Amino acid sequence: MATKRDDDDILTGSVPSPEDEATPAERAHAKTFADLVDKTLAGRTPPAMSADDRALLEVATVIRAAAGNAELATAKRDALVESALRQAIGGKAVKSGAVTPIAKARARRAPWIIAGASLVVAAAAILLWFAAPRRIHVVDRAPAALQDNWKSRPADPLIGPISRDHAGDASARLDTIFADRLDGYRELRMRGGH
Amino acid sequence: MASEPATAVELEEEQRLVEEAQAGNLDSMRPILERYAQPLYGTVILPRLGDAASAEEVLRDTLATAVEKIGRFTWQGKSIYPWLRQIAINKVFDVHRQAKRSRRLADALVHEVPAETDPDSHADAQLMADQERRAHRVKIDETLDVLAERYRLAIELRLVQELPREDCAKRLNVTIGTFDVLLFRAVRAFRKHFGSDVPEETHGD
Repeated sequence: MATKRDDDDILTGSVPSPEDEATPAERAHAKTFADLVDKTLAGRTPPAMSADDRALLEVATVIRAAAGNAELATAKRDALVESALRQAIGGKAVKSGAVTPIAKARARRAPWIIAGASLVVAAAAILLWFAAPRRIHVVDRAPAALQDNWKSRPADPLIGPISRDHAGDASARLDTIFADRLDGYRELRMRGGH
Repeated sequence: MASEPATAVELEEEQRLVEEAQAGNLDSMRPILERYAQPLYGTVILPRLGDAASAEEVLRDTLATAVEKIGRFTWQGKSIYPWLRQIAINKVFDVHRQAKRSRRLADALVHEVPAETDPDSHADAQLMADQERRAHRVKIDETLDVLAERYRLAIELRLVQELPREDCAKRLNVTIGTFDVLLFRAVRAFRKHFGSDVPEETHGD
């Protein structure tokens, strides 16, 4: 029979034998872990999870990788290669003529394209100013909805009530909050492969 | 990537690209990076970290470091892959050190393929990757062998064969909820035994 101690001490506690009846708490934790495995297999590992679940999921990932089940998608691979080349080339002084920067021609034309586009927009704005009727339409436009994970938000739903038994697990809670916030940052940074 | 060993023509092409990069055209590294990204990710980095997001970051840093330091690489008539692999392993240990996490996963797998590749061996990248994957699999199987039969089956069905939970539960004649408990306990048991014979502080960085 799984004891309360076993449930509390996922990583270091003794593991019940397969025939032992599971407690409701263990069943709930097992379901949470099974959902995490589901998402990981689908390539959607959630960034926020408890330190215990993360440690177990790492083991599951190692088993999958050893079985050859962890492929890097071609699009992801290309994005990482591009990012690495940019990081390496951007981080050192470029000797003229010696190094061929990526998209050199594009980079050289970029300031002129931006300047030209700005000029056209400015000219169009002036023309519209004179041509437009002198009536002001107030458009009631709702602000664009931001994804929840890009907004400032309380950590309470993530952490939940902290029981006395887990009062000392501040580090794990910080890990969970950090991973959750990092997800939003990474999503913005990596979007489009950059 | 093909499972055939690199041909002399491919090695010649690789040497030409490396020399071009060393002459200053760093973008010539692109085909090399594209070729070796998957074996580095799948057999070197991910198995030692267990986290896809961290593994992708380490892969990117590995490739960037390779481009930055290509001038220091000396062509020895074999693939550049062993050199890339060594950079990747060093980065993995950096991650473990910086995050102050246990290096148990990395340590459990580090013995299988020499960290430093013999400069006299004309090791081919694909052969090395295959050898490393087989060595990992042996290590995993050794750990599975010490688990209870139902735990071993739960891991085999769900994580190796990647069958849906429903199918796994049917195979074991249990409900999905019970299968979830079996898998949960199986991974806990696996973790307790995996790498348990490797002292964590035995490997230098």
